[in-house]
Amino acid sequence: MEVSLSGPKVIVTKLKDSKVKRLGFSAPGFGYSGSNFVDLRRKCRVNWVGLKAIRAQVAVEKNNAPFRKEKVQSQTPVELLVGLPLDTVSKSNTINHEKAISAGLRALKLLGAYGVELPVFWAVVQPNSPHEFDWSAYLAVADMARCAGLRLRVSLNLNGCHRPNVMLPGWVLQAAETDPDILFKDKSGALHKDCLSFAVDELPVLQGRKPVDVFESLFRSFSSTFKDYFGSTITEITVSLGANGELRYPSFPPTTDSEFTSVGEFQCYDKYTLSQLKQAAESAGNPLWGLGGPHDASKYDESPNNSNFFKDHGGSWNTPYGNFFLSWYSQQLLHHGDRLLSIASNVFGDLPVQLSAKVPLLHHWHEMSSRPAELTAGFYNSAERDGYDAVTEMFAKYNCMMIIPGMDELGSNPESLLHQIKQACEKHGVQVSGENSALVKQGTDNFGKIKENVQAGLKTFTYQRMGADFFSPEHWPLFREFVRGMERSQLDADDLPEGNGGGVSLSADSEAGNNREMQAA
Amino acid sequence: MSIVRWKPLIHQLPLVRNPSLSLREQPKRYIRCCPKNPSLSSSAGFVLGSKPDSGRNLRPIVEAKAAQSPPLSQETDLISSEQFTVNRIKKTYGKVSVKLERRCGYEARWMLEVSCDLVGKWILHWGVSYCDNQAEWDQPPPEMIPPGSTVIKDYAIESPLNARSEGQSESAVQIEIDGDTPIGAINFVLKEEETGRWYHNKGRDFRVPLRGSSEDEITLSMKQSVSIWPEAFDQISNMLRKHEESDPAPAPILEDNSDTSSKKPIIAFHEDYTVIKEEPVQNSMTVTVRKSDKSSDKNIVDVDTDIPGHVVLHWGVYMNESKNWHVPPPPYPPATKVLRKSALQTLLEKKSLGLGNRGSFALNKEVKGLVFVLKLDEYTWVNNMGKDFVVPIENSTSGHEEKIEEKPGTVSSTDKSVDTGAAPYTENLISGIRNLVDDISSHKNKAQKTNEEQDNILHEIEKLVVEAYRIFKNSSVVEKPDKSVDDTSTTPTQLVVSSGTGNGHEILCQGFNWESHKSGRWYHELGEKAKLLAELGFSIVWLPPPTESVSPEGYMPTDLYNLNSKYGNIEELKDIVHKFREVGIKVLGDVVLNHRCATSCSENGIWNIFGGRLNWDARAIVADDPHFQGKGNKSSGDNFHAAPNIDHSQEFVRTDIKEWLCYLRKEVGYDGWRLDFVRGFWGGYVKDYLEASQPYFAVGEYWDSLSYTYGEMDYNQNAHRQRIIDWINATNGTAGAFDVTTKGILHSVLERCEYWRLSDEKAKPPGVLGWWPSRAVTFIENHDTGSTQGHWRFPAGKEMQGYAYILTHPGTPSVFFDHVFCFQEEIRRLISLRLRKKIHCRSTVKILKAEKDVYAAEIDGKVAMKIGPGFYEPERGPKNWTVAAEGADYKVWEAS
Repeated sequence: MEVSLSGPKVIVTKLKDSKVKRLGFSAPGFGYSGSNFVDLRRKCRVNWVGLKAIRAQVAVEKNNAPFRKEKVQSQTPVELLVGLPLDTVSKSNTINHEKAISAGLRALKLLGAYGVELPVFWAVVQPNSPHEFDWSAYLAVADMARCAGLRLRVSLNLNGCHRPNVMLPGWVLQAAETDPDILFKDKSGALHKDCLSFAVDELPVLQGRKPVDVFESLFRSFSSTFKDYFGSTITEITVSLGANGELRYPSFPPTTDSEFTSVGEFQCYDKYTLSQLKQAAESAGNPLWGLGGPHDASKYDESPNNSNFFKDHGGSWNTPYGNFFLSWYSQQLLHHGDRLLSIASNVFGDLPVQLSAKVPLLHHWHEMSSRPAELTAGFYNSAERDGYDAVTEMFAKYNCMMIIPGMDELGSNPESLLHQIKQACEKHGVQVSGENSALVKQGTDNFGKIKENVQAGLKTFTYQRMGADFFSPEHWPLFREFVRGMERSQLDADDLPEGNGGGVSLSADSEAGNNREMQAA
Repeated sequence: MSIVRWKPLIHQLPLVRNPSLSLREQPKRYIRCCPKNPSLSSSAGFVLGSKPDSGRNLRPIVEAKAAQSPPLSQETDLISSEQFTVNRIKKTYGKVSVKLERRCGYEARWMLEVSCDLVGKWILHWGVSYCDNQAEWDQPPPEMIPPGSTVIKDYAIESPLNARSEGQSESAVQIEIDGDTPIGAINFVLKEEETGRWYHNKGRDFRVPLRGSSEDEITLSMKQSVSIWPEAFDQISNMLRKHEESDPAPAPILEDNSDTSSKKPIIAFHEDYTVIKEEPVQNSMTVTVRKSDKSSDKNIVDVDTDIPGHVVLHWGVYMNESKNWHVPPPPYPPATKVLRKSALQTLLEKKSLGLGNRGSFALNKEVKGLVFVLKLDEYTWVNNMGKDFVVPIENSTSGHEEKIEEKPGTVSSTDKSVDTGAAPYTENLISGIRNLVDDISSHKNKAQKTNEEQDNILHEIEKLVVEAYRIFKNSSVVEKPDKSVDDTSTTPTQLVVSSGTGNGHEILCQGFNWESHKSGRWYHELGEKAKLLAELGFSIVWLPPPTESVSPEGYMPTDLYNLNSKYGNIEELKDIVHKFREVGIKVLGDVVLNHRCATSCSENGIWNIFGGRLNWDARAIVADDPHFQGKGNKSSGDNFHAAPNIDHSQEFVRTDIKEWLCYLRKEVGYDGWRLDFVRGFWGGYVKDYLEASQPYFAVGEYWDSLSYTYGEMDYNQNAHRQRIIDWINATNGTAGAFDVTTKGILHSVLERCEYWRLSDEKAKPPGVLGWWPSRAVTFIENHDTGSTQGHWRFPAGKEMQGYAYILTHPGTPSVFFDHVFCFQEEIRRLISLRLRKKIHCRSTVKILKAEKDVYAAEIDGKVAMKIGPGFYEPERGPKNWTVAAEGADYKVWEAS
């Protein structure tokens, strides 16, 4: 059992070890080694006046690191980003509320944000045909960020989104009109106009082209269009590996959006997926298993407790058939992810940018042994099986950073799932970044949760997302205090190595931070 | 004896540079910002009790700040005098002792005692580990927990250490351990409650292995505590040896192991740890500048402090305003070292009785000031709020210190006098911009400049945010509700009256129950309550069906024009309508249009001939009701099987009904309708009827089943509410409808404590009221569902939660007659709040919480409410919330 108490102890343990002392000596005057810290100093010098540099970065204490862990992890500041509105660029390829964003960017810069996240939609870039790209509005946004002195994380969404209503490109939907099965289809035959079926990845269904090729040309077009921005402004590229920009099936109902928190349904009823299922069943020696998805799974928003498939005791998920289906279903997702990451790392691999992708935090119903919401989304995770090991392994293979949303979610379900995913990441050496699932509301402790998660060791944290509510008098002060609170706890670590032999601050503040941590435990 | 470190973090940054190796022997720069922040300014803590010369780089930052200058003394040769407050850390050494011993007189009882001889409120924060991984923390069995302890989640216990005896500083806590316990080790850390400091063992937990320990642990113990072992040696040597001989891979300890011989016996343990408690101590220092009486070209600087022990003044002088450090020409005071020509270190003279230290320096007149910091020991330096102490020496006799204020925008090389007083740090300021430029004076300039700039920047940020908010808000596309219902066309402030909504602020009372017909004089009885209902705040009352009826309750009408019923005759009816109108309450007639009971049989023995003024026959009956052999068209809705369903598609039927409704309006004086069983015919006909009869308010009963799956209500009731909305749509919005969806969901919410159901997938109310609030007539009970029928009774005892919901939410709430009297005062409060805060049928709901055990929402920003056992309180903020109503599991606030 691990205890949050272990946090502060870890630090000392590792720092007391001669290792660190040696490190300290090797970097006279700093007491830290590691490029991150030096980097911070450099930034301090550059942005000397602006409260700028320090602010964005937050010292990290490995509070949740397991006690027995021997690895010395240098403290790295967390880079704080804020997501730009999903409708930053309209469907007609113009910038929405440009002035507001511009003011917002400056405010964020002054507050000390490291950068912003720019959601890019396929339908906006390639509205008419697979041969034309229109990056103009996105380029203009990148310019705005560059002028504001902010970094950019660009999310390349190959999926649609219900809010704002951006679906797949028109020409893709046209193709889907002739062959609806290239879209995900649920049991009742409803189509997901926001996501191409994973089964057609390598079939020439888009005007004779394979989706993977279309994606690759999109990536290449992005890479050449934005070549002046990489490294300096664009520091991270996030590719969407499935529905909702995440590695997942669109297990939510076709008409709702990602805020759906029920179990959802398996999405394997388009003819291409069905035929792959059939093949898999035949090679498993049980052709009857290949006729469709589980007949006894619950409906979208039905209670899984009442479903034969998901129920905790004696549910069919825990039968040979269940195992067959879920393994196959999750493999399909992994293969799709692998295909896309392979393309992305191929195209972006040499750029001075970090590649990342998002994995959903499907904590709803995580308390059930069958983890039904995770199953329908394509993670074969259950009380008895770690569904995230293979996923993180794939991320590790492509040196892809994992973005986990839901860092603001309170409760034991999110906590335990997050812990599980993080452990897998640790095992495979995958860096973790975080996002929140929604704007934090007044009177809640979600910011406290975010802070806790951030301090537990994140590479970056992206707060989602800018907009009227973000800047509203109800929300902005909360956010501002959150950022400043983060910065305060970071200040001390920053303060510590000051002086050329004179003294070391005892850093009461970070100490106090630890105390809070422990008392909260 | 082993050594213990209090503050894990001090080790993170071992300071590596030896002062004597510094390239520039200038005073150190200490950046301590925001001294008002207690967590920053007080560095008190417990520091490792290593020998001071152990080479550990413990360098507590010590701060000082200037106090008010004491009044100038009368002495004429006194130039200036300034007193500084010096905050430093005082160290107290102490001992923590950990003993594990067999309890006297018990073979199988053991006692762990942890004691500490330092003054303080000590808390033992401990847990046990059952297995070999001794880093684990688990909850001990309850019998082990000493009295007065607090359980921290599932892994730790906090037990206070109690003073051994009155007035003694040493405190201890004992934990009893059963000899057969499966526990492998006890882990703990200590906490000093008053300061909140944690106390670790070199950054790890203290660990008391009950049965020896893993190998590294043993070596560690052996190394550390050679001197300790002998004390316990005779007790443990055998066991220890035995343990060491045993298999190095420790066998897992099985929990329910009756065979104790396979388990290692408990081994005694004793170890002492040294601790240093660091406390902040405030001292003062006075610096006085006076003219030398011996030499006219010299000034004397006297330094006097009550800091005990060795105090070294690390000092220099400045000749001009740049305040760069210089070493003055000799001679120097005794015990002075020159450091690299940029600073001097002078050991101050001890005052008698250890009362402090003082020193005296003669300085040439051209010296403009003295700059210094204090060095208390190798690792402890004292500065002045992150800056040097600066004592300007003015040669004018005024003794007045002239301050040159820095103009904003001055280049950083501009000199300025440094105010030795505390800089006006604002708590709000973001502090901590650090100077990486070596020049110390420019650092100071910048530090101050930064404060100003920070202010400006904060201002700028807020300005930008307001701008961004304004533009975003204006450019945000208002999301249309799913249903293409334009609810905003009539804003309630305009008080546009429509039969679907009334004036938008209506509150309904159902003026009867299933038993009301029994007395035969209901109109009379209810009439007596008209005044009360008006006073409670109701604006509309719904009267029972008025016509002659097969069933006494009135829902099986026969002759529509016969208005004598079990509730009273037509005169009494007119009378009660009049009474209600007098008190300002509108009256709804309950009209049953779906079906009508025949008064006689047709030739083939079927009851399908109607009597009275509307002498319809089988042509007025829908064709798809086999029981009544209707000759009309197929029904446009569902069938009510107990009576002939009327075929509203027949022109003559509609004409007759319109006429009848107009008659009721005119003759009886009804203001509107409650339409029974509207599922039975197309809503478009209802629109016809309403357009003809022009009611002030109309509401239809569209009651069908919610969606259930295996007996459990579905979370998503969109299909159900959609059917109701479809009906309202068919009436063209001329009628509202009872929000059966909301009632149904409330049932599940309250019965199963599933308040999360009250927020739909779009975070809106899940019933009709979430989609088309102005047409939703919310209710929790009526004569069918409750009363003596109880077809679908609202969860007993939770009615007020239901009312707290519907009476604070948009829609037009309807209160059931029985409840008006059961919960009169509570309902009165809620209605009065609704009216006071002008909550109306289109108010906006912001759902704040929809969790397992609590639902909370804010309505129009004026009313906040919560239902459910869980906790919710409105945010303290710009709005001042006061409790307006409160009861079992509900609470309502209003913004004042």
